[in-house]
Amino acid sequence: MDGVESRISPVGFDREYSRRNFLKTAAIAGAAAAAGAGGLAFAARPAFAVHEGYQAAGPLAILQLAYKLELLEGTFYAEGINAGIFAGNSFAETQIAAIRDAEMTHADALAAAIVDNGGSVPATPMLTFPDGVFADPAAFLNLAATFEPVGIGAYQGAAPALIGSPLLGSALSIHNAECQHWNAIKILNGVVPPNNVIFEEALPLEAVLEAVAPFGVTA
Amino acid sequence: MNKQTINVPDVEGFARPRTRMDFLKALAAASVGAVAGSALLAGNADAQTYGGGGGGAAPAAPAGGDLEIANFALTLEYLEYEFYLRAVDSGVLSGDALAAVTMLRDTEGAHVDALIGLITENGGTPVAEPTFTFPADAFSSQESILNLAFTFEPVGVGAYLGAGTMIQAAPVLAAAASIAGVEGEHVVTVGNLIGVVPPANTPFPAALTQDEVLAAVAPFLGMGSMMDTGGENPVASSGKAYCGKAY
Repeated sequence: MDGVESRISPVGFDREYSRRNFLKTAAIAGAAAAAGAGGLAFAARPAFAVHEGYQAAGPLAILQLAYKLELLEGTFYAEGINAGIFAGNSFAETQIAAIRDAEMTHADALAAAIVDNGGSVPATPMLTFPDGVFADPAAFLNLAATFEPVGIGAYQGAAPALIGSPLLGSALSIHNAECQHWNAIKILNGVVPPNNVIFEEALPLEAVLEAVAPFGVTA
Repeated sequence: MNKQTINVPDVEGFARPRTRMDFLKALAAASVGAVAGSALLAGNADAQTYGGGGGGAAPAAPAGGDLEIANFALTLEYLEYEFYLRAVDSGVLSGDALAAVTMLRDTEGAHVDALIGLITENGGTPVAEPTFTFPADAFSSQESILNLAFTFEPVGVGAYLGAGTMIQAAPVLAAAASIAGVEGEHVVTVGNLIGVVPPANTPFPAALTQDEVLAAVAPFLGMGSMMDTGGENPVASSGKAYCGKAY
């Protein structure tokens, strides 16, 4: 696929690096999950944080970043399918293909919204992925499990900056789709129960950018 | 995602007084959006703000409308919590389903707590928990529990997505989006348990109108011959039995 350079990794970039990098941001999200079995009690509501960075960036920049995040995800899932690593697992292959299609549908919708808002659709980033990730289903799914909370955190973080905008409804719907993807990935990873999050976490804009930079996505 | 198309001909006809009071409170809360018409929420991803506000900067503190939306959400969370509480207590669940439903119970309970906190901290009054009724066989088997859960969860998602575009204060939207996403996860978890392939299957989860949400949950707020209250008098105080068509 154009724009994909899966064999060339950034300097010092390997799977463990990428996972650490992601897990740093995903750790915030994990905190809510860790409180899971506690019944009614919940300690705090960091999940409901309102991050100002999105407000400052504005709707058009949010759309453009979201577009690139969707390309990152969609390309990742497409490459996994194309590599045939799920050929022997029709359940997984069907699910990954559905997620791939959803991400590309999101990208298309976002591109249209960018144009509608007077912006220009960003060029497809030169994406890089860790070595071996398209050769090993487990590695692929582990990376998927770190991608999804970043997408969730980005849309959720952006939502308050879209209050009053006709874009908000779409952003909330896509956010929800990403949450559904994350759950599906957890199912594929054998997480029991897969519904192990009580509150989805918003991420600060800077944390999103830091998380996706190793893959070639920049603001 | 399928829209709920259950018709509710007459809310007064199948709600017991105590329940009805709470229900109408929730109804009133939901009605804040009615000013701008339910077209606002008619599955339209481009839905705009309500009440003549329009696209200015978000106010710093939640106003009345936001708190009413939060109270409406609270009613839905009470319903889900109560359902999963009884489901776990039924003893018919096992294995992965038991693990998932136990977590669903705890999660919806935490959502109840969070919404009560949000409403209270912003000067509102949380609605009391209504008395819910469930179909007589709702908790008779794992299959019936999961099937009913699979009708609840998309309603929850649709309600949050529909209400989300009407929220005006950032902290309230932040909470609603967070919780909505979790309900989205629940759709997939439950779908997977009942054999939906692939369990995550829609690029744009649908918003529901407030009327659709109310229609979907009204049968659980008191009714007639097809329903079992799980303890209290199942018949409307008017004595009029309502034969729910949906369940």
